[in-house]
Amino acid sequence: MLLAACSGGAPGQSAGNGKVFRYAMGGAPTSLDPAQAGSLYANYLVLNLFDTLYTYKYLARPPELKPHLAAAMPEVSDDGLVYTIRLKQGVRYADDPAFPEGRGREVVAGDIVYALQRHFDPVTRSQGAWLWAGRIKGLNDWKAAGSDYTQPVEGLQALDDYTLRIELTRPYPQLTYTLAMGFSSAVPREAVAKYGREFSIKPVGSGPYRLQSFNTAKAILLPNENFRQEPFDLAAEGYDADTQAFTGVAALQGRSAPFLDRLEIDFIQEGSALWNSFTKGDEVQMAGLPDEQVKTVLESVEPVVLKPEFAAKYRMTTGPEAGFVYSNFNLDFPEIGYNEDPERNRRNRALRCAMISGFDWQARNNSFYMGLGIVFPGVIPPVVPEFDPEMSRDSVTRDIAYAKQLLADNGWNAETLPELTYGSVAGVKSRLFFEQFRAFMKEIGYPPEKIRLKRYATFGDLVRAWSRSELPVVGKGWILDYPDAENTLQLFYGPNRSPGSNDANYANNEYDELFRQASVMQPSPERTAIYRRMNEMLVDDCVATTGLTRTGIKLWHKNVIVVPDSSIVGGNFLRYVDIKEAAAN
Amino acid sequence: MELVQYTVRKLIAGIPLIFGVTLISFLLMVYFGPDKTYELLGKNPTPEQIEEIRAQLGYDKPVVERYFIYVKELATLDFGNSESTGEKVNDLLARTIPVSLLLVTPGFILGNLLGIAFALIAARYRGGWVDKTIMGLSAVGMSISFLIAIIAFQLLLSSNYGLGWFPVRGWSTDTPLDYLRYVTVPTLATVFVALGYNTRFYRAVIVEELTRDHVRTARAFGVPPLKLLSVHVLKNCMIPIITRIVFSIPLIVISGSLLLETYFGIPGVGKVAYDAITTGDQPVLKAVVGWTAILFVFAQLLTDILYRAADPRISLNGSSE
Repeated sequence: MLLAACSGGAPGQSAGNGKVFRYAMGGAPTSLDPAQAGSLYANYLVLNLFDTLYTYKYLARPPELKPHLAAAMPEVSDDGLVYTIRLKQGVRYADDPAFPEGRGREVVAGDIVYALQRHFDPVTRSQGAWLWAGRIKGLNDWKAAGSDYTQPVEGLQALDDYTLRIELTRPYPQLTYTLAMGFSSAVPREAVAKYGREFSIKPVGSGPYRLQSFNTAKAILLPNENFRQEPFDLAAEGYDADTQAFTGVAALQGRSAPFLDRLEIDFIQEGSALWNSFTKGDEVQMAGLPDEQVKTVLESVEPVVLKPEFAAKYRMTTGPEAGFVYSNFNLDFPEIGYNEDPERNRRNRALRCAMISGFDWQARNNSFYMGLGIVFPGVIPPVVPEFDPEMSRDSVTRDIAYAKQLLADNGWNAETLPELTYGSVAGVKSRLFFEQFRAFMKEIGYPPEKIRLKRYATFGDLVRAWSRSELPVVGKGWILDYPDAENTLQLFYGPNRSPGSNDANYANNEYDELFRQASVMQPSPERTAIYRRMNEMLVDDCVATTGLTRTGIKLWHKNVIVVPDSSIVGGNFLRYVDIKEAAAN
Repeated sequence: MELVQYTVRKLIAGIPLIFGVTLISFLLMVYFGPDKTYELLGKNPTPEQIEEIRAQLGYDKPVVERYFIYVKELATLDFGNSESTGEKVNDLLARTIPVSLLLVTPGFILGNLLGIAFALIAARYRGGWVDKTIMGLSAVGMSISFLIAIIAFQLLLSSNYGLGWFPVRGWSTDTPLDYLRYVTVPTLATVFVALGYNTRFYRAVIVEELTRDHVRTARAFGVPPLKLLSVHVLKNCMIPIITRIVFSIPLIVISGSLLLETYFGIPGVGKVAYDAITTGDQPVLKAVVGWTAILFVFAQLLTDILYRAADPRISLNGSSE
């Protein structure tokens, strides 16, 4: 037992493996097929195994796109309908038995065409088709005709091996963002043909790493020997010495990723196991700070400062997530939403507004998000450029007296208030969310017995319930797909009603018209003004109790060179991680 | 010849059991299990996409047809691919079951051997302070949840807050030393929790045996205590001991240990089965349930054969000689 106990390894190093980096995240992906990379967890792997046409600059804050597989930013026609994209030459897939003689072939424009077509082939079970459905000319028809890969798609063509042409049905300013998402990664059809459904666990891409093993506990990635040599350019990546020098990232200048001999990603949901592993020294080297360790580790929360004993060993960054948490009122329910009786309709709106006014975001923040969350009004979160810091905060400021008055003025009392069902996944934290919500409502006079919890065994079952419009109150979160408020405003766009993402089933012709108008506009002050107008409409109509953007704290060992990025970019930063030589040898 | 006939008879008799178990579990899966459809869909699904996924999952087929598909899969032992990961179910189980076996077997064996040993000692000194101490510690072991035991052992032996002797997370069987490094703490946690239950159970069996006439006679003839316990008592206790041990085996093979696997980062079948249950991954669930039923039939068979080995008076034809 003692013999076994004494045979450990050294930090950043595993016997005979060179530079090893172990990153921990709180959940495991189930599929590594880019077409199914709908979760943040999947993207941490997919973005390092595959390449997309565009990506985000490693160090630029806020996020900024740059060419990746593409040789340059797209050439866009004057009407915004045709995108011509040139690809880099000489980019190769990782070696794999799927290729002749096992040698990875060159990535060509046809691979991008194939990758996007796959989303419209039902066999693929795509989670990303919604990004391009009805937007790329002929793609929906191609699917309707049987998803035959021998048939061309009018708006999606490889003009030659290095030129891609995309023709849209209407301008889609967010298209380039979608081409930076894991969903759009270049996929070799040989690998899909060879592995079939198991492509999801045997991915073959052109990213800096290739997969060695993947199970419920961890994924191990090794360098892709064919990965292109692209010297790291600090300035081009958006380096800011004032805020990033402490990370040591300047040492990467002129070198080509990947810098590791082995990248391990541990999937750890249990906070105690995560913390024990992180503090062990020779195991996990980077992780999010578990909630239960906040008081142990932090000297202060505002600002976030580590206690000296932890600051001596670890580096830290904090940053807002690219998304927010909120809860919708489902307006399909006549008890609280749209009602044929105009008078009841008016009273229902007052009821929703009173409930929003009675909700205590600060208490929610303190109870569940360490007090670090950013509370903001509306659905345009602080991480997107269209965020309005000047917007009135009335909708996120608790005012019990106003809420009670609103209820009284509109004929609501303990007898007349409707019974509501609050849907949630079974679990302690979910229960606490509900109980806190009910306590808030009790303070404005809503009888607790009239707000009931309906628990669902799994998240899938809860999604089914809200997709079928079966719940009057839906608590949920949204992770942005790209840094553009269009991505959150579409959550209330009429045509996206259930089973789409508008599970508030908000129906407002004026809002929808503004959405359509803005959706074809390039970023501009005019578009921002429309976005903000739409945001105010949602607040005025009291559609949702919103919102809070969570703030994450990431810690890592000092021998690791890394600058974590926001969740909008997924795990892109992992491709640039390095271990300091002194510690690695 | 008697053994072969008995084996064939028992296996045939096991078929209704397998059908019964699989039918009940299948109906539970269909009517009460999670709907996988919405786990597989993207953010903005259309009704058409929902129907496509439902069709691919077979949800649009009549239940009877779906059950017959299951029976066919069971007969061919081909359960298709996991709906979550896309991996072939048989490959998935072949990859994870050996890990779970290697993880839980040492704890299982040690837990039972030590349980029997402590039970013999407690029974030998029944009513005395040794007995009371062992029973008291057993009660303590039984009172502490497995989860707490895992966290405590990990903290004490693996983390830097404790001795830090063993890895917190990971799994390797590349060398015997690697295996020992990774299996020791989970094994200690398993033994700690199992020992109380095992000791109390075996003690009860042994104490009952100690009251038998043949034991009193042996004592009267001056048989030494050690020989009395090992030859006259333990041997006659083998029937309940065999039953307890053999019927635990299918659960060890298939269930693994979810808590051990999640806390120690071990890629066994326990987590796979748990994920299949919570996400409605029916191909994996069907395989797990099917294999468990089959293993129980074999466990039953093995138990009967071992009964005969332990007590030659027992006939495989179902009557005592």
